[in-house]
Amino acid sequence: MAEMSIAEALRQAIREEMARDDRVFCIGEDIGIPGGFGGAFTVTLGLSDEFGRDRVLDTPISEIAIAGVAIGAAIAGMRPIADVQYGDFLFCMMDQIANQAAKMRYMSGGQVSVPMVMRAPVGQTRRGAQHAQSLEAFFTHIPGLKVVAPSTAYDAKGLLKSAVRDENPVLVFEHKLLYGSKGPRSERGALSPVGEVPDEEYLVPIGEGVIRREGKDVTIVGKLLTMYRALQAAEILAEEGIEAEVIDPRTLVPLDKELILASVRKTGRLVIAEEDNLTGGWAAEIAAIVADEGFVWLDAPIKRVSAPDVPAPFSPALDDAYMPNEHKIVAAVKSLL
Amino acid sequence: MATDIIVPPLSQTMDSVVLVEWLKAEGDKVAKGEPLFVIETDKANLDIEAPAGGVLRQVWAQPGEAIAVRATIGLIADVGGELPEFERPSARSAAASVAEAAVAALHPLAAATGPMGQPLPPERQARIFASPRARRLAEAEGVPLAELTASGPEGMIVERDVIAYIASKPAPMAITPVARRLAQAAGLEPAALQPARPGARITRADVDVVLARREEVSADGVQWVEVAPIRRTIARRMVASQQAAAEVTLTRDVDATELVELRGQILEELSDGDPRPTYTDILVSIVARQLARHPRANATWDGERIGLYADINVAVAVDTERGLVTPVVRNADTKGLLALTAERAALVRQALDGTIGLDDLTGGTFTITNLGPIGIDAFTPIINPPQTAILGVGRIRPAAAVHNGELCIRQRMFLSLTFDHRIIDGAPAARFLMDIVRLIEKPHLVWL
Amino acid sequence: MEAKTILLNRGAEPTGLPESDSLVDMYRRMKLIRRFEERVNDLYLQGRIPSTLHLYIGQEAVAVGVCAGLREDDYVLSTHRPHGHSLAKGVEPRAILAELLGKVTGCCRGKGGSMHVGDITKGVYPAVAIVGGNIPIAAGAGLAAKMRGDGQVEACFFGDGAANEGAWHEGLNIAAIWDLPVVFVCENNLYAASTPFSLTFKVENVADRACAYGIPGVTVDGMDVLAVYRAANEAIERARQGGGPTLLECKTYRFCGHSRSDPRTYRGREEEQEWQKLDAIPRMRQWLVGSGLSDDGQLDEIDDWVERTFDEALEFAEASPEPDVSELFTDVFKE
Repeated sequence: MAEMSIAEALRQAIREEMARDDRVFCIGEDIGIPGGFGGAFTVTLGLSDEFGRDRVLDTPISEIAIAGVAIGAAIAGMRPIADVQYGDFLFCMMDQIANQAAKMRYMSGGQVSVPMVMRAPVGQTRRGAQHAQSLEAFFTHIPGLKVVAPSTAYDAKGLLKSAVRDENPVLVFEHKLLYGSKGPRSERGALSPVGEVPDEEYLVPIGEGVIRREGKDVTIVGKLLTMYRALQAAEILAEEGIEAEVIDPRTLVPLDKELILASVRKTGRLVIAEEDNLTGGWAAEIAAIVADEGFVWLDAPIKRVSAPDVPAPFSPALDDAYMPNEHKIVAAVKSLL
Repeated sequence: MATDIIVPPLSQTMDSVVLVEWLKAEGDKVAKGEPLFVIETDKANLDIEAPAGGVLRQVWAQPGEAIAVRATIGLIADVGGELPEFERPSARSAAASVAEAAVAALHPLAAATGPMGQPLPPERQARIFASPRARRLAEAEGVPLAELTASGPEGMIVERDVIAYIASKPAPMAITPVARRLAQAAGLEPAALQPARPGARITRADVDVVLARREEVSADGVQWVEVAPIRRTIARRMVASQQAAAEVTLTRDVDATELVELRGQILEELSDGDPRPTYTDILVSIVARQLARHPRANATWDGERIGLYADINVAVAVDTERGLVTPVVRNADTKGLLALTAERAALVRQALDGTIGLDDLTGGTFTITNLGPIGIDAFTPIINPPQTAILGVGRIRPAAAVHNGELCIRQRMFLSLTFDHRIIDGAPAARFLMDIVRLIEKPHLVWL
Repeated sequence: MEAKTILLNRGAEPTGLPESDSLVDMYRRMKLIRRFEERVNDLYLQGRIPSTLHLYIGQEAVAVGVCAGLREDDYVLSTHRPHGHSLAKGVEPRAILAELLGKVTGCCRGKGGSMHVGDITKGVYPAVAIVGGNIPIAAGAGLAAKMRGDGQVEACFFGDGAANEGAWHEGLNIAAIWDLPVVFVCENNLYAASTPFSLTFKVENVADRACAYGIPGVTVDGMDVLAVYRAANEAIERARQGGGPTLLECKTYRFCGHSRSDPRTYRGREEEQEWQKLDAIPRMRQWLVGSGLSDDGQLDEIDDWVERTFDEALEFAEASPEPDVSELFTDVFKE
């Protein structure tokens, strides 16, 4: 058992998988350059020294090529782990992900599969609107992609290892404020949770959510950073005698909806917290599922605590108004009681 | 649009029924085909299904009322747009109702205001805001939403409001529909009623106890008690039987020792969960097999001809709080003892709780009535028309008897066979009874 | 590096050719593609194909010339106009035809349709119908081959239109810098749908752009299967030996419209007639007979075989079952 940050846990997962399987390699921008960053958030730091630059491939600034090469290598039998510097750059490679990776197995009638992993950092971190988005909902909408969003070091390692072994394209969304990256790559305002990670081999199965805190009065679903905001909100609510249950789905596709429905069945109330913009967001989908399949258990409307429908602002003065935080979650919960 | 709720004609002979209870309250949503109200016929209580989906808007018959079949007793209005309340057709111009309904359908919100834009009184704004969870609980617990105090967001009724309501009320009285109707008819307050055992449902017997205690006696010194149609039906059928048939009763004292031992051995062999045969079940089985050899005992008379029934369907008299009913075990001669036992037990259970259907009360070809459990030794049963014969069974009791030439204590019982001499003569009827006796005294002969 | 442009002297004696059997086989494959597309077009006109079609008629020499140089375990990445590439690489006509009819026996179980045909057991990936989308994927497949070191080569087909996509640039560049074993085959048929080449390119040849990536660029007569074969074979062997990618441009012409809804009103009929004179199939037949490598009897027999093969494929496809509705939900993910 060792204490480590999410960045370290991810690195350990990659290292173990590369050592286990020769087909596994990393591809991305600035991930293996000697003397470089080890990726934008240090996840691949040192791996090129260990495995050689033939298995930690530095690309030109060519997001389409990163995605396309990963897909091509995957259908040809390799197990690429593609590194996207910022989730926002996924839009540059959208054809490759949405039209190629997601659909290739289906439209080939099952002839090929695309066992690739794409890691993408998301979240508002005061870099302006083009390095701040939470894009999960775009990809949960596309059939053929699996989507995971680990919020702890344990899950980050276990889910990434599962993703590498999965036979399908898996997008791994990581939150910039949760990496715990050190030195010049550390983040202002980061939570940087450090968690215990077993020394022995383990996997976290894709598709299983987890209850982070039990409660009987309201269910709060949060992922990545908002999972921690939900826990903070639950602390505040507990002081007033309100017991919130906090659910971390961990995997967004396929979603462990039974876990959420079972919780709502118990509590009768649901708040979904996420950093995505409100309209058409992931929270809307969770709300729709519960309205559809858990309606009779609801004792109050479903509330979403999301970012408003504006691009992420830069000025720190606008942060509170933009970001979903524990106080907004507390207010949403109280509006339901 | 509104659909009339019409009392369906359920048999050729019945022109009125009693409304036992409404299963929905006015203002409740109903789905087409959902049980809407319960009526009592001369055979059974029956659930009647809603003829259409919508909202139960008006009911014109109250529990306990006798209603002519084909009468309209209420209305179901479409959901969507709060329709103005319907009134008795004569009380209001139909054209006005239709016009308002049309407006309401077009503008759901317009229905909340009157024709001149004035707010309707609150009771006409029928929509009650309650969370789905609260509605679910309220429905399950029979709590009327209209009586709840809302404490949820935006004035919505939430689950805790229902829980608080339930906690504030004394436990609702458990009472059978028949008992409730009788109590209402007699003007008894629910509080005046006590169940026989703590926690048990209040039954007709409990109501009768209270009624008997009442000092109000009419001028002629008689306390006249309202009865259900089934009482009148029983009365009619009994008289018809005695007037029409040429009834003769044969009685025989029977040694039931072997039968008692046989039953004891059967019970020992049973597993948990197996149906446990009673003496009545064994007798039904024995009698059914003998009826196959004595077709005239399983027959009817149309005034000129004897009709021999193709099937052997043994009716068994059951004493219920509503009165005597005779559920029918069909093709009893073809059924194994355990199957027969299970079937008869289910029929008796349904007869006792009033859920038995008409189908299970008709079609009997022979009847067995057992008053032994009540302590009767022998009696003269009355034929259940249009059947030919009925077997009355007395209690099994130890008695001094000569057995194998020695005086000893044996288990004895009386059997009384009443038969219709128009159809079967005394000697063949006696042979039929003796065949039954022989099997009771030597049950192993069943297989011969 | 300067682009190397080879424009063959039409009619000149070719050199560096394979055995005569393979040469006759090139004729057979071109003829199969031609008649397959023509007869599929007939079916379309009869309302028996539930989709539009992008037919390969006129461009047969490119697919056949390139694929003649590929090994069985080499792979092809195709486009929205993929029937010819699949047939040239050896995919069964019946599997393609059943796919066009949406039958479960189709090469993609009826889930791909005309624009996604392919059969990986024959070395053809399911075709990519987003213009330029297959370029980086071909680079990735090439990367896998290079990492495995098994000498496998990828042939990536695309039209002139694809060369103006961003994905084309990124894919060619990454293949170039990593020396990936990919032959990028541009079928320059002069029109991106209806838009003429001259309106969208400042250079005369697509292959002229090869120098921007530091790789060989070759332009050949795409109506001459032998010229295509020789140029492609050279590029394939270079790739196989670790010499990296080649941009091979084949000047060709589609005799039909872009898709079945295209009336070709943007180009002159004289132009079409001039190109039809260059039709690769009669030219190859003439050359085979003239050089004594074959004769009319053998070639007529091949023509008959082609018709029979299509007849049988059609019979198979039409008799095949449609996919069960449960197929809708399979193959989204691999379990």
